[in-house]
Amino acid sequence: MYPEPTNIWERIEYSSFGTTIAESTWMFPTFEVLHVIALLTVIGTIAVVDLRLIGVASKEHRVSLIAKDLLPWTWGAFGMAVITGSLLFISKAHSYMINPWFLAKMSLMVLAGLNMAYFHRTVWRTVGHWESDAPFPAAARVAGWTSLIFWVVIVFCARAIGFTLGIYY
Amino acid sequence: MGDLLFEMSQWLYTTPLNEFAQRVSESRLSGIILSWFWAIPLMQTVHILAIAGTLVSVLMLNLRVFGLAGHATLQETAQRYTRVLWWALVFVVITGVGMLFGDTVRNLLNSIFWIKMAVLVIGVVLALGYSQSLARQAAGGGQIASPSIKVAGIVLAALWCVLILAGRWIAYAPS
Repeated sequence: MYPEPTNIWERIEYSSFGTTIAESTWMFPTFEVLHVIALLTVIGTIAVVDLRLIGVASKEHRVSLIAKDLLPWTWGAFGMAVITGSLLFISKAHSYMINPWFLAKMSLMVLAGLNMAYFHRTVWRTVGHWESDAPFPAAARVAGWTSLIFWVVIVFCARAIGFTLGIYY
Repeated sequence: MGDLLFEMSQWLYTTPLNEFAQRVSESRLSGIILSWFWAIPLMQTVHILAIAGTLVSVLMLNLRVFGLAGHATLQETAQRYTRVLWWALVFVVITGVGMLFGDTVRNLLNSIFWIKMAVLVIGVVLALGYSQSLARQAAGGGQIASPSIKVAGIVLAALWCVLILAGRWIAYAPS
């Protein structure tokens, strides 16, 4: 028997959907595995583009072609990460919303998204002019470094959630 | 299935592995790792990033093999991503060993851990064969991968997903 919810997060957590996932022996681990596979695909594909932007890898390949190959996979995997992440969230909504590592992870994902959106609306528009020259414009390299750092810290926050869930009240 | 895994874990406790795991968990390195709360999360972060490297390498090789993406030649793609795959695997193993020292008993006496190790060995052997076949075919100028390479690519991707699944399920294994 669950207590009476006192806020929206508890209402989500104690909903029949939330408790079904939480009480199932296989649902949470299964969604977690799918979430990890999706997130690893997102990070891996983004890293390939970022490492090209900062001039560390794939130097002999055009960054626009690399991005064209990878972006559909990045977005597909991101969609799967959002769906599975939401299912995980529903089962422990209140615990997640009071966990600073979860809030940091979500904030960093928003910042990583804004960084990507800004990059695509500015420097990327002229990629055809600069992708044949090395090094790339400073703005492109900064966007690559920023994205890499954001995603590494996001993974750390994701792991920290697992180690700190339940210690915040 | 859960019962079988539980029995396997219980059997592991009756083997010399139990004493070995206890000894390792009392080692100096284990003590150092356990004395700092963030050591395991940090190692896990590098471990996960390295697994992302292996996963995206397998994905990129497969996309090129199946002609779904990849503007470079088969040879260029094979050279580029097999190098990433092996380097990432080195980091997977190093951080994996480090994490083993941080939680020896729970890992070594866990049936899913050994399933993961078996899948890892099979995956590495298959990756070796896959990359060599790919390099051989690409060196011969072939741009369309043979059916056997395509099958190996699919099996390898599936094995990597099983590896990730086993890695997460260690935490939920009945023991």
